[in-house]
Amino acid sequence: MIKKFDKKDEEAGSGSNPFQHLEKSAVLQEARIFNETPINPRRCLHILTKIIYLLNQGEHFGTTEATEAFFAMTRLFQSNDQTLRRMCYLTIKEMANISEDVIIVTSSLTKDMTGKEDVYRGPAIRALCRITDTTMLQAIERYMKQAIVDKVPSVSSSALVSSLHMVKMSYDVVKRWVNEAQEAASSDNIMVQYHALGLLYHLRKNDRLAVSKMLNKFTKSGLKSPFAYCMLIRIASKLLEETEGGHDSPLFDFIESCLRNKHEMVVYEAASAIVHMPNCTARELAPAVSVLQLFCSSPKAALRYAAVRTLNKVAMKHPSAVTACNLDLENLITDSNRSIATLAITTLLKTGSESSVDRLMKQISSFVSEISDEFKVVVVQAISALCQKYPRKHSVMMNFLSNMLRDDGGFEYKRAIVDCIISIIEDNPESKETGLAHLCEFIEDCEHTVLATKILHLLGKEGPRTPSPSKYIRFIFNRVVLESEAVRAAAVSALAKFGAQNDDLLPSVLVLMQRCMMDSDDEVRDRATFYMNVLQQKQKALNAAYIFNGLSVSIPGLEKSLHQYTLEPSEKPFDMKTVPLATAPITEQKTEIAPVATSKLPEKLAPSRQDIYQEQLAAIPEFQALGPLFKSSEPVQLTEAETEYVVRCIKHTFVGHMVFQFDCTNTLNDQLLQRVLVQMEPSEAYEVVQHVAAQSLPYSQPGSCYTLVRLPEDDPTAVSCTFSCAMKYLVRDCDPNTGEPDDDGYDDEYVLEDLEVTVADHIQKVLKPNFSAAWEEVGDEFEKEETFALASVRTLDEAVGNIISFLGMQPCERSDKVPENKNSHILFLAGVFRGGHDVLVRARLALADGVTMQVTVRSVDENVVDVILASVG
Amino acid sequence: MGLLDKLAGWLGLKKKDVNVLCLGLDNSGKTSIINQLKPSNAQAQDIVPTIGFNIEKFKTSSLSFTVFDMSGQGRYRNLWEHYYKEGQAIIFVIDSSDKLRMVVAKEELDTLLNHPDIKHRRIPILFFANKMDLRDALSSVKVSQLLCLENIKDKPWHICASNAVQGEGLQEGVDWLQDQIKTMRT
Ligand SMILES: Nc1nc2c(ncn2[C@@H]2O[C@H](COP(=O)(O)OP(=O)(O)OP(=O)(O)O)[C@@H](O)[C@H]2O)c(=O)[nH]1
Ligand SMILES: [Mg+2]
Repeated sequence: MIKKFDKKDEEAGSGSNPFQHLEKSAVLQEARIFNETPINPRRCLHILTKIIYLLNQGEHFGTTEATEAFFAMTRLFQSNDQTLRRMCYLTIKEMANISEDVIIVTSSLTKDMTGKEDVYRGPAIRALCRITDTTMLQAIERYMKQAIVDKVPSVSSSALVSSLHMVKMSYDVVKRWVNEAQEAASSDNIMVQYHALGLLYHLRKNDRLAVSKMLNKFTKSGLKSPFAYCMLIRIASKLLEETEGGHDSPLFDFIESCLRNKHEMVVYEAASAIVHMPNCTARELAPAVSVLQLFCSSPKAALRYAAVRTLNKVAMKHPSAVTACNLDLENLITDSNRSIATLAITTLLKTGSESSVDRLMKQISSFVSEISDEFKVVVVQAISALCQKYPRKHSVMMNFLSNMLRDDGGFEYKRAIVDCIISIIEDNPESKETGLAHLCEFIEDCEHTVLATKILHLLGKEGPRTPSPSKYIRFIFNRVVLESEAVRAAAVSALAKFGAQNDDLLPSVLVLMQRCMMDSDDEVRDRATFYMNVLQQKQKALNAAYIFNGLSVSIPGLEKSLHQYTLEPSEKPFDMKTVPLATAPITEQKTEIAPVATSKLPEKLAPSRQDIYQEQLAAIPEFQALGPLFKSSEPVQLTEAETEYVVRCIKHTFVGHMVFQFDCTNTLNDQLLQRVLVQMEPSEAYEVVQHVAAQSLPYSQPGSCYTLVRLPEDDPTAVSCTFSCAMKYLVRDCDPNTGEPDDDGYDDEYVLEDLEVTVADHIQKVLKPNFSAAWEEVGDEFEKEETFALASVRTLDEAVGNIISFLGMQPCERSDKVPENKNSHILFLAGVFRGGHDVLVRARLALADGVTMQVTVRSVDENVVDVILASVG
Repeated sequence: MGLLDKLAGWLGLKKKDVNVLCLGLDNSGKTSIINQLKPSNAQAQDIVPTIGFNIEKFKTSSLSFTVFDMSGQGRYRNLWEHYYKEGQAIIFVIDSSDKLRMVVAKEELDTLLNHPDIKHRRIPILFFANKMDLRDALSSVKVSQLLCLENIKDKPWHICASNAVQGEGLQEGVDWLQDQIKTMRT
């Protein structure tokens, strides 16, 4: 297989690209001939080409070698060969940032830019501006001004574009060239006029009034260049957006008037600008859509493409505005350009009625094999959107998707289809079995490990709960026989779930497991052995903890704790409760299908935000005895925006303590703050133990201080508390320019907003993929139930949202989604309470006058149950 | 080289190419001197301080000169050495009215003479004691004393007083250089 690829590569490479196997060192060696006299222009040209090729391939040149090559190249200015000289300009531009002392060519370039050879002048200006810095710019200012108004268009354009680049670096110098740019803006040459307008705009873009004056002037006087018109339209629509100007603004009138311009380019730009305006109503859209409609029947493919692509976008926000074009779009369905046809169909799918879906899907299947993967993904996305809009159509879609799944296609395409099928399954329970069947068929011949494992995971989760789970076993076991290690391991895990859920399947699953225990791969064998032993116990609680719901700890945290444990061996067994929990649980939310560019390789497990905090806090001696970090909250702002000091707080919860981390920024450039700490007054029996001050807080450099608080031990139900906070510090006034502080300072304080600690700060979210198994596992020893009336809540959705955010627990089984038109709903929540006890909540909601809620709480610790019920009440 | 060029060379029609480095402190008049030596239709009207270097060409009766006119400003002087290797002759220009910086000029000259790419080569050096028209200009003899030119033993050298604005004294120097190069070659 690998050999075959190699050969192909060679065949493709030979002859087509003479530079393919260039060696940097060999090329640099060759560059020595630049030093020879007389100069051989042809050979030198060839070597310069190689150097530029290498640079553009991303080859790294060290400073010394680059400088050496650059200086050798400067000698080529002796030659009067035109091609060679222009190649030198290119080389200068490419090497401007990697070689030292590039200013050595300043005089030579200045001479060329003011010389008699017009072919040298433009490129010399561009090269010169690349190597010039602000101090040097003054020296060539005179020449730049002359060049801007030069009568040779290429010279003038080069000078204008180079000036535009230099605005970023030397705004103040370039600003002095406005008069020259004005003059160039009235040039007869369309490019010069366009470039001049660009420069004028960039010089003024931060001054709204000046931009608006400029627009006013040019829209009145009119321009020759269609490019300049397009630019004016963009400037005008940006200004409209910034000033939130309405459709009665003269700027809008201008854009609308451009719909009647004689250049198609300008007409399209104006239509596109109108279509993209926020809060655009049908009345303003109509004329823009009608010019796009005209373009749909243009003989130019580019125009048809632009029009249908823009209409496709409009269709998302204003489907009704596009319906007028349906006839024209229908004609494009059979366009010989498949990109146009695809966009036309996907647009129609968005605007068309439910009845037209079948016809369109048929049309698109006739050529789906001819379009590129990229457009196929567009089709899949349209289908996905359609499924949400017309759930009743899911069987048509499912059929279509399964056909697509059988076609050839790359990973991104296949992934889009699989994701789309999975989301249909999740939204439409009645489509579950068909969907799973298609996916089973797909994994029978699937070369993408990532997709195969993903589907196996889904089969393990959903399969056992279908009416006839046995039919999936064959597909899963085939994987164990046929596939790579990763897929085999995933298949073993899926099998185990069938055995755990379905007693009648258990014997056969055990037999299959036995076979897996003979696998050649360690991981597969380990998994099989583990599941075998758990399954043989036939205990619901074990199944729930080890097969359905897995580990909920942070993997990097587990790794670290285990490492620590091996460093300090002890008699006590390793305690899983000391391992921090995973913070970002794998949400059951379906992932957006859109991001095609997301990394293709499975990502390396990056440390989470909490792992980072854990490490930072552990480095502070005062906090070393607190044990593992249990939870870190999102930052809470304790100051208004744009105050003298900006302070936000992150609440870190430990088993018996809380650490409040205050991130402070001093926004006064005439003050240096020292020994900064935040004093906290608790409303409850919380005890402030210690302050760790930020030693110094210079202007605009953020720093952190900490306050350590002990949680009340005798009253475990005291989980909420309000703290009044004040920042205390020593101020030293200082010189705003140098930052040099006065010798002595004075104490001061700054009152912050109150900080709340709530029950959510004591609970960490944990996802239980199989909630009912977990519910059984915890058992009803400490179950408590209570009923509440939520009078002020109007909808079930709102109630669900409120409970989740109040308790800070993880919704399971997608129960955070309330189906439409239902009067009752059950919400399942899971979490771990500070100290390491699982806590589960089942809330039955009923909508009548307001919402009635029956809450059932289970945990292995009675206190935890009480805390939850007390805080809800 | 094409056949015709070679033929021209044999017949003495084609002039030999020589690379010359033009060195000296800033404001000494290097660019002005080279400008004067160019054919009058190619001369520049206004002369500005050089940044980096410029390549200029001019011809004498039997040679075709390619001059690397270097910038004399302090921060560019250490870039001169990049071009030492190909120089077949050196023109070193001194502002003879700038007594204050004569020591600086001497220092730069000594560094040049001790550079490995120059030290062991019998490379002719032409000195122009420029700006002789100014009232307080030193004579060429005085300049050569201040620069200790008599210590240069292993290289042919020559000093002329010059005025680059009027073009005086330049021809004499260039004639000397041409003779030197011709004797070196044969
Ligand atoms: N009076 C007088 N002025 C001269 C003479 N030669 C040059 N100048 C003036 O001296 C100034 C500097 O001359 P440049 O030729 O630019 O000097 P340079 O050595 O090339 O200077 P850099 O390029 O900065 O190293 C100009 O204003 C010239 O007009 C001369 O012989 N007499
Ligand atoms: Mg000069």
